[in-house]
Amino acid sequence: MEFLLNFSQSTGIYGFMNSPWGWPVAESIHFLGLCLLIGTVGIFDLRMLGIGKGLSMAELHKLVPFGIAGYLLNVITGTMFLTTAPDQYLYNPAFQTKILFMLAAGINMTYFYTTTLAAVRITDPFDTASQRAKLIGSISLLCWIGVIVCGRLITYYRPPYYWCLWC
Amino acid sequence: MRESGVAFFGTLTLHSLAMALVIGINIALNLRLLGFAPRIALPPFRSFFPLHWYGVVAISISGALLLCAYPAKALTNPVFYLKLVSLLSALAIARHFQTSVLQHEVAGDGSARIKMTASLSLILWAITITAGRFLAYTHSVLLASRFY
Repeated sequence: MEFLLNFSQSTGIYGFMNSPWGWPVAESIHFLGLCLLIGTVGIFDLRMLGIGKGLSMAELHKLVPFGIAGYLLNVITGTMFLTTAPDQYLYNPAFQTKILFMLAAGINMTYFYTTTLAAVRITDPFDTASQRAKLIGSISLLCWIGVIVCGRLITYYRPPYYWCLWC
Repeated sequence: MRESGVAFFGTLTLHSLAMALVIGINIALNLRLLGFAPRIALPPFRSFFPLHWYGVVAISISGALLLCAYPAKALTNPVFYLKLVSLLSALAIARHFQTSVLQHEVAGDGSARIKMTASLSLILWAITITAGRFLAYTHSVLLASRFY
């Protein structure tokens, strides 16, 4: 906790976030980053699930670097939130659940890249993806929806309310 | 709405999710029209539009409910009208792309006009997001009842 706060104060993040527009500016970038992620990774997941037949998955995958850029924006702005007010996040069950969803999305993505992407890439644009690719796409979408819902919950239930089973 | 935690939070979350979906679809389309991943076929992109317009309906309903919860807060804030105008303009561009550009296989690929419109759309969505976020910080009036 001390460490996070020291980091925020020594890097100037704390000062920026406590300036009149610091927090909403970081929030706006955070939402833009998540839209980049949904617009590329989410669209790719939806294509694997069968929406947009005729779109080549290999070509669609070329937009994913924009999603990674969005993710990096969110890691940066997320770190700014966390280190400026660590006590509002670390003990917050919504934040803890959000991290779990992100972890699950990460594991799901690693599994996809190591086992399924190669086959998905050579699928005909008018074909459906394999059952496994569909399952991975659904898990990915559910995880990101979970991340957004928990992200919204962070500010709403602070401190934790009745819905937390482990607080 | 205002007093029920679950209703207000649920509406707010639905609003965020639907915004992410609609803006996400627009980002993908605009990036494609700007020339990234140029071999993505355009006509099949239209299959995302039913989902897109369902998202817009969800945004409108949840937005209207949030407005009902704190009408004075939004209606007295110029940022709210900025958000509304940029949102409607960005949706008009999306509709234009759906009904004209995406009807054709090649769609005048690389035409400067299409690229300009796609950039404008991205800027409008960024303004919509930023204005939406700033709404929570820039209100001068929270409840009209303070005037009574």
